[in-house]
Amino acid sequence: MLFHEMEASSIASGIREGEFTAKDVVVDCLARMRALEPVLNALITPLSENALAKAVGIDAAVSSGKDPGSLCGVPVVIKDNMCARGVRTTCGSRILGDWKPPYDATVVDLLEKAGAVVIGKSNMDEFAMGSSTEHSAFGPTSNPRDTDRVPGGSSGGSAASVAAGYAPIALGSDTGGSIRQPAAFCGIHGLKPTYGLVSRWGLVAFASSLDQIGPFARSVSDIALVMDTIARYDPRDSTCRPGDRPGYRESIKAPTVRGKRVGIVREFQGGSLDPDLGRSIENTASMLASSGAEIVDVSLPESAAYGLPCYYIIAPAEASSNLARFDGVRYGLREDAADLITQFIRTRSKGFGEEVQRRILTGTFALSSGYYDAYYLLALKVRRRICVEFADAFEAADVILMPATPSLPFRKGELIDDPISMYMSDVFTLPVNLAGLPGMTVSTGMNDSGLPLSVQLVAPRWEDSRLLEFAAVIEAWAGRPGVASGGVL
Amino acid sequence: MMPLSFETVIGLEVHVQLATESKLFCSCPTAYIGSEPNTNVCPACLGLPGSLPSLNRRALELGVKAALALNCSINCMTKFHRKNYFYPDLPKAFQVSQYDVPLAVSGSMPIFLEGKVKNINITRLHLEEDAGKLIHETADGRLSGAAFSLVDYNRAGVPLAEIVSEPELSSPEEAREYVLMIRRLVRYLEVSDGDMESGSLRVDANISQKCSDGRWGSRVEIKNVNSLRAMERALEYETIRQRGLLLKGEEIVQETRHWDDNSGVTRSSRGKEEAHDYRYFPEPDLPQIAVERTLVENVRESLPEPPWKKREKFAREWRLSPADSASLSENLDVAVFLENVAASGADRQMAANWVKTDILRVLNETGLAVGDLQVGPEGLASLLAHVEKGSLSNTAAKDVLDIMLKKGIAVDDAMKEAGVKAGGVSRESLLGVVAKVLGENAAETALLFSGEDTSGKKRKFLQGLIMREIRGQAAPEDVSAMIDRVLDEMKG
Repeated sequence: MLFHEMEASSIASGIREGEFTAKDVVVDCLARMRALEPVLNALITPLSENALAKAVGIDAAVSSGKDPGSLCGVPVVIKDNMCARGVRTTCGSRILGDWKPPYDATVVDLLEKAGAVVIGKSNMDEFAMGSSTEHSAFGPTSNPRDTDRVPGGSSGGSAASVAAGYAPIALGSDTGGSIRQPAAFCGIHGLKPTYGLVSRWGLVAFASSLDQIGPFARSVSDIALVMDTIARYDPRDSTCRPGDRPGYRESIKAPTVRGKRVGIVREFQGGSLDPDLGRSIENTASMLASSGAEIVDVSLPESAAYGLPCYYIIAPAEASSNLARFDGVRYGLREDAADLITQFIRTRSKGFGEEVQRRILTGTFALSSGYYDAYYLLALKVRRRICVEFADAFEAADVILMPATPSLPFRKGELIDDPISMYMSDVFTLPVNLAGLPGMTVSTGMNDSGLPLSVQLVAPRWEDSRLLEFAAVIEAWAGRPGVASGGVL
Repeated sequence: MMPLSFETVIGLEVHVQLATESKLFCSCPTAYIGSEPNTNVCPACLGLPGSLPSLNRRALELGVKAALALNCSINCMTKFHRKNYFYPDLPKAFQVSQYDVPLAVSGSMPIFLEGKVKNINITRLHLEEDAGKLIHETADGRLSGAAFSLVDYNRAGVPLAEIVSEPELSSPEEAREYVLMIRRLVRYLEVSDGDMESGSLRVDANISQKCSDGRWGSRVEIKNVNSLRAMERALEYETIRQRGLLLKGEEIVQETRHWDDNSGVTRSSRGKEEAHDYRYFPEPDLPQIAVERTLVENVRESLPEPPWKKREKFAREWRLSPADSASLSENLDVAVFLENVAASGADRQMAANWVKTDILRVLNETGLAVGDLQVGPEGLASLLAHVEKGSLSNTAAKDVLDIMLKKGIAVDDAMKEAGVKAGGVSRESLLGVVAKVLGENAAETALLFSGEDTSGKKRKFLQGLIMREIRGQAAPEDVSAMIDRVLDEMKG
């Protein structure tokens, strides 16, 4: 049986009902991983032995009549910026050395309590800064749909793992598009939840006011399954919204778009948008219209004009502060020197890669006295206007339909020396983070060259289930994405 | 030409460690003194990657309490900022503090000096987290020359309230009175133990000089003043140093200077690590904090009368001396004890005298708190009632109080134990004692007998001996009458 092609929900129910064992599933997925890793490099730390032991434990629980939970025996990949107790956590950087956190991220804890089996920690752009997973101290990840191309980033390793069938689901983090852009590039689904829906406790911060954890999967129902597990109030994250969450699987039981208004963003059509991706939006819109939705025109001029510069002030500013703790004093890399300042400088110069250093310097500058008002404060004002602009758009539309990325997956090395073009890759995703909204990349199949197509759906805050309902309708039409060959035939 | 004169201008930043059980942003215990290093720590206060802060509401309450007592306005929406700088004792490389919207602003507090009251305005009170402690492995515990340094993060994240005064203090003595009043207040409120030696109360002082020719010297911040004495000495030193420079026509450099207590000088601490740009920005991990009206009102209702009010009340309404008003208002429990003694019927002045001498003495000797005493305010008041009526002399009453304090028994029982009775000795026994004393002091008695004791000195002397003999259990006029009677009998 090809367990690695199955959905998480089918795996969990199969194991619970005794059709097969968690060990069978994990062995198959690990074999898949072992076969493709030399080509893909999607994982920084595979956890084969831990995973097998966990699977055996789950099988024992099932055979003794216990129910390990809704993710019973489901292999899962975690981005390597989420803490798992006793497991090396690198953030794709040299600076953390082989630091092993003494605690679990809330999401890791929730997944494991639901019976999931973590099979590896995935590759990423260093500290989640990048859009290609080329900025990793552990080498680049390849796109399993076309191994000459990048998988997107920064959660490229998680996206590639799911596309290649290491696991049916994975967790990523999204600060400016780091789930939705790699989901688009790898031809799978990826959801960035509303800011505050999922706890960030244990997620190594990049930009605290923008970061949010979310799932990758090859089916909308698996996205909903993960959301039902990880979307919980957590008092350890003060930005996590108190109260219950709706049932996400419940929201896709009988999905319909009838009578709903779908907004197409005027500013985000045409221009430099890849024609295939433009057509994907048009075709999706036509399908939704024929399913009873009303297509409306919405406008996001501030997001289009100022979203990118606004983001590239706020995110680096927060990052410059969040990453200051990596000073070699308590953990990770330390380059000894005769005095403290030199020790800090040497440790950080050696430990951080070029892109991270670029953003720390940008952010430090933006917060400096004399420049704060002109940069950081101004960016905060723009951010507020972007929020208002989205709120206005949602007066006219229930959901916004727009591209996830301006281009199809680019080739490895193509943009590595051109940071601004690399940044442009997130031009459609980062306004969603600035406004704290939920956004989802939905796979819409492949183009004639076999490269993945996608659309992005955006909803008002806390309306994540509305995204899932639309995504389910689109998936029913476009088909569920299959497992990629990963360069191995 | 007129000689130049100067005015000293001082503003203080007082950091008060709040008496919470747990730290400001996590649930680790705050007890760092005497704990094994790095045991009261967790991912949050160690600033481990991925950890996040959650606000301890108790610290907020204590902050509100201090702010209300200082007559501050509370900001109903307050927020935290990050103050960024690198130092090994700062686990996240930023301190979570407050910046443009502190917990409270615009308060005031009176200080007393040389019989005058001066109102000092309070700029702001804000909350922030403490840093860890560096331990340098050298003989003198200093950084320079240390082979290595150790960090203890037990203190990291302990809540502090920073109270900033307006620059309205005009002498080191006023600065001292200000710090003492803050300390008294935080102890009254039980928001902090206010102990300077252990570091729960820390002071940074800003000082400048205004010259009569219109020049105003730059402000200098003095750090590393670890006691009141050190603060006064440092301010005196700076006053002289700054005036000297201004007299020579030189500029004062605006800078931070460290007090060296051993050498008795302040030293410039300019250097790379001092040239800070803290890059304050709103802490994104903590949403704005709503300080609810109900919380503020509940705290307001729980506030005790502040020390300066007690002091003024003792001085103005009770007409106690300035020194007594000060010493009796030093500690809230003592002041309340005194008030309750008076409320139980004792004369205020008499109650004050007894509390000041006898109660405070016992507290000093035993190290007990007022609440630990075996005698409550009602007990003392009932004892004082006997003294007031004249049925117990002061001396006897002190013996009775000692027994009450030792055994925790009521006045009547203590009097029995002391062998004294209210109302004094019987006429027969008094007669016996008087006859005996007069007999034993024949020379003095003779003078009385012959009427030569015109000044009454000898009578007083004999009366004193008799009083001692009867343990003060008779009114002086009764004793005097009995002496006359014995003398008459001798004549008769």
